[in-house]
Amino acid sequence: MSPEQPSLDGLEEEAQRALAEAETPAAVADLRARFLGKKSALSAVLRGIGRLEPDERARIGERANVVKERIESLVAARREELGRGERERALSETRLDVTLPGLHAPRGGLHPVTRIERDVIAFFTGLGFGVEEGPEVETQWHNFEALNMPADHPARDMQATFFVDGGHVLRTHTSPVQIRTMRGRTPPFRFIAPGRVYRCDRSPRHSPMFHQVECFMVDENVSFADLKGILYAFQRHMMGADVELRFRSSYFPFTEPSAELDYRCLICRGAGCPTCSQSGWIEAGGCGMIHPVVLEHCGIDPERWQGFAFGMTLDRAAMLRWGIPNIHLLFDGDVRVLEQL
Amino acid sequence: MRVPLRWLAEWIPLPGEAELLARLTQGGLEVEEVLRVGPDLSGVRVGHVLAREKHPNADRLSLCRVDLGDGEPAEIVCGAPNVAAGQRVAVVSPGATLPDGRKLEKAKIRGVTSHGMICSAAELGLEEDAAGILVLDASAPVGAPLDTVLSVGDRVVAVALTPNRGDCSSMLGIAREVRAHFGGALRIPPTDALEIAAAPAPGIRVEISDPTGCPHYVARVVRGVRVGPSPAWLQQRLEAAGMRPIDVVVDVTNLVMLEFGQPLHAFDVGTLRGGVVRVRSAAPGEKLATLDGETRTLDPEDLVIADAERAIAIAGVMGGAETQVTARTRDVLLESAHFDPTRVRRTARRLGLQSEASYRFERQIDPAGVPRAADRAARLLAELADGSVAPGAAEATGAAVTAVPPIELDPGRANRLLGTALSREDVVALLARVDVVVEDAGASPLRCRIPSWRNDLRLREDLIEEIARIHGFDAIPATLPRQPLAPVVVARSRAVADAARDALAAAGLLECMTLPFARPADLDRLGLAADDARRQLVRLQNPLTDEEGALQSTLVPSLLGVVHRNRAHQVDRVRVFEVGRTFHPSADGQLPSERLALAAAITRGGERLWDPATTPVFFEGKGAAEQVLEALGVAARFSPGGDESFWHPGSSARIDVEGRTVGGVGELHPDVAARFEIDAPCALLTLDLDALAAAAPAGHRFAEPSRQPRVRRDLAVLLPREEAAGRVLDAIRSTAGPHLVDAAVFDRYEGPGVPEGRVSVAFRLVFQRPDRTLTDAEVTRASDRVVAMLADRFRGELRHGGGVASGR
Repeated sequence: MSPEQPSLDGLEEEAQRALAEAETPAAVADLRARFLGKKSALSAVLRGIGRLEPDERARIGERANVVKERIESLVAARREELGRGERERALSETRLDVTLPGLHAPRGGLHPVTRIERDVIAFFTGLGFGVEEGPEVETQWHNFEALNMPADHPARDMQATFFVDGGHVLRTHTSPVQIRTMRGRTPPFRFIAPGRVYRCDRSPRHSPMFHQVECFMVDENVSFADLKGILYAFQRHMMGADVELRFRSSYFPFTEPSAELDYRCLICRGAGCPTCSQSGWIEAGGCGMIHPVVLEHCGIDPERWQGFAFGMTLDRAAMLRWGIPNIHLLFDGDVRVLEQL
Repeated sequence: MRVPLRWLAEWIPLPGEAELLARLTQGGLEVEEVLRVGPDLSGVRVGHVLAREKHPNADRLSLCRVDLGDGEPAEIVCGAPNVAAGQRVAVVSPGATLPDGRKLEKAKIRGVTSHGMICSAAELGLEEDAAGILVLDASAPVGAPLDTVLSVGDRVVAVALTPNRGDCSSMLGIAREVRAHFGGALRIPPTDALEIAAAPAPGIRVEISDPTGCPHYVARVVRGVRVGPSPAWLQQRLEAAGMRPIDVVVDVTNLVMLEFGQPLHAFDVGTLRGGVVRVRSAAPGEKLATLDGETRTLDPEDLVIADAERAIAIAGVMGGAETQVTARTRDVLLESAHFDPTRVRRTARRLGLQSEASYRFERQIDPAGVPRAADRAARLLAELADGSVAPGAAEATGAAVTAVPPIELDPGRANRLLGTALSREDVVALLARVDVVVEDAGASPLRCRIPSWRNDLRLREDLIEEIARIHGFDAIPATLPRQPLAPVVVARSRAVADAARDALAAAGLLECMTLPFARPADLDRLGLAADDARRQLVRLQNPLTDEEGALQSTLVPSLLGVVHRNRAHQVDRVRVFEVGRTFHPSADGQLPSERLALAAAITRGGERLWDPATTPVFFEGKGAAEQVLEALGVAARFSPGGDESFWHPGSSARIDVEGRTVGGVGELHPDVAARFEIDAPCALLTLDLDALAAAAPAGHRFAEPSRQPRVRRDLAVLLPREEAAGRVLDAIRSTAGPHLVDAAVFDRYEGPGVPEGRVSVAFRLVFQRPDRTLTDAEVTRASDRVVAMLADRFRGELRHGGGVASGR
């Protein structure tokens, strides 16, 4: 051992003591320079190694490196310790009032009737039904005559009609779309036609504007039984698997046979309540087999082709789904209503 | 049609009420409600007075022990002098309800507890006043509810009739329907006219000079009628059916109408002139004072009944005042006729005189039932008003009603349409239940004869409906069509409207729907020019209110109405949109053109925590527009100055797609905001969805993100204040070279540090090569080109001596 070699003994303990007293990251940095820097005793030892005997060189070198590593890890541990304290202080100083409101994107949404309409379209397009539209101002021929409602027919009293300039009408139902779609085309086909319709009537239960969807299918053998099958599937889609349906004979000039489809009131389950006018049943829509006169008006041979048609009101479905008591709430644009839906 | 059930039961045996109502409804006669007429005696029971003693504390009261059939007899105090042991009486027990709705309590009367009440006819609501208690027939079963013992009060079923089932607007028709569902034999009341052979003949001639208007006219004369109130049973029947009793003659005609569905009219023979009743068209301008006190001006469309000199009734609609039956009338002419449904309908509508009679004529009466109704009414006047029926009816026929020819029906056709598997025998049997007679059950196809009262059965399909109806729709199986599916294509206009709705909902706007009605004043409020095409409105001929006199030509007024109403409800920030059609007149009787439009409105107000520094509300509107256009995949250009009167000229932009204006966005013009009473900053967006649907979609093509690093250069440029940043950005894009992948404005500043008349706009340019890392030199060359261009074209100068920041 050469006399000029500083001693490594006690260096580690000394560093440990000094680091324990260092209270800031800067003090730790100073200590690191003192023990491991270029001017440190340890550096001097490592610098002097080359001058040692080979067997000394190996022994001293190994020992110096061990000491260096130990002091490095002591420095790192102290730095980490102090850093943790800093972070904890910083964390403890930041306190948000988490009961303040969150920052929202404004709440938007689709109108309930739009949502019901999309539901209906999704169901029927899945079964291969196309989606058709027609004008809201219609000719009387399309709205009435072609649908087997000639002038002076008592059935015209069933639909209070708005008349517009030029002898036209605001369509009272979506059925004229049947005519526009079928004329000039050859069966088979299947379509739905959603849209706005109008009746000259404003009362607590009726709005002069509301929405219907028409569904019709023409083929060689499509039957009332098929209509029933489609409607059962459709109503289950709209109202759940346990919906109970009833078909009851009715009259529409454009279908023969004609029926009304009712479903068991969802509110009272048939016991009778204001929603179902105490009857236990709610009308879901009208349906039937397309009247041969209607097919003839569309240039379709009723001996070869036959088909069904079904129409329902979308607004009422929306009212039932969201428990909206009054149809006029749908068309008032009241944000306080729309926000809830 | 109101059907009193007790009355109906006289015509046909009835099943239980619940079953009856369910089958009527399912068979097409929808039961709307069930009403009660007369006193409700269901809470009153038959009691047997076992003993009567004097009340211990009162001379005029007695104490009765009454057996009610349920064990211990009840002690009841009674004040009536006529109560006696052995009687059957009407008793209300404590807790039960009196006919007037009062609930009876146990009561102590002069120290003795009375366990009920023995009722008088007045207390039961049976008579106006009555002395003493009601004594019932000795055969009345003890304990039975009184309404099963006395024929008073009734349940009345209100049935909604569809326009094809005029034949059901009578007891006879409803009874036939009950028979179709449940079987049983009809019991038709007697219709023999009880003619007095010795009485003078009618002495009236019937002539029909409008044969298509009146296929058949029968007149019966009843002499010596005593006109007065009709008997109570008849009055009760009419009231139960919803009609008002008048006098015996009118009441009989109404009763027979309710029984058989044939409307009748009665004339005072003494007022008729010339011994003739003539059915003819009215003369132009002919006048008639009708029963309701009005004087009607008639039209040749109208069919009238006339005597030798003048019109005396409007056929099927209303009688004349001068010839009506009065208390002084002695001889009555009863008219039973068949009038043309269309003629009656037109006249009734034109005059606003829809009545029970016109209702039935419009739906066509049973042509075979015309004489029977006259006979039945004559008989009732003989029975109830001491009349003598003159022998023989005066009668005439017009154009013969073409009997419906037999309808041919192949049972296989019925099964094909219904999806059923009914046998030939099933079909024949089902048809027989609605009186459709198959001539030869073995023939093919079946030849089916239609009863005279079913004028709604004309086609094979009508018979198939009868089969389905009586068989029951619930008995038809439910199957799914087996036809092959074809692919569905949804129209582009619908796809565009849906995408726009979704984008605006995602942008935080609520979709609303409003009625599409408008009035010219709305367009004034918008400030539209006098020659604006939207001033041409499609007008309604019968609007519900003056404010809804036309169809909207723009969505804006109704949407501003929505904004106004919501602000009035103290909603601070209204963010709404509507998709709807606008209507524009076309020339020469063509249908109006309809365009699919979108309008959106966004207001500011009610500052809240976290609100960013105020950006003009215009940019919220523009942001919504951009979100819609991005969703549609169309590239749009916003140019300064939306050319609409309702926008602030300096805070609005026109939106062009492929060189065509498709809408605009702007802040509401303060004058328009004031006229619509909107008190908050409001941005308004309009889009023509039809035009957008027609614009070719730019199409979203996938581009794989580059693996090469991006290089960003930010340029803060001093520009003349009036320069549009969008124009500068366009110039940057076309100058920066092929490796510019993004360019945007990220800051705008004017104020201290920026010279007067200048604005500092910061642009961020992003460069990237797809194949390799860009060199600094490449980026610098590109950005230098931009800087030079800005100086050259826009007098732009970089801020802060270069002001170029870069980053990776």
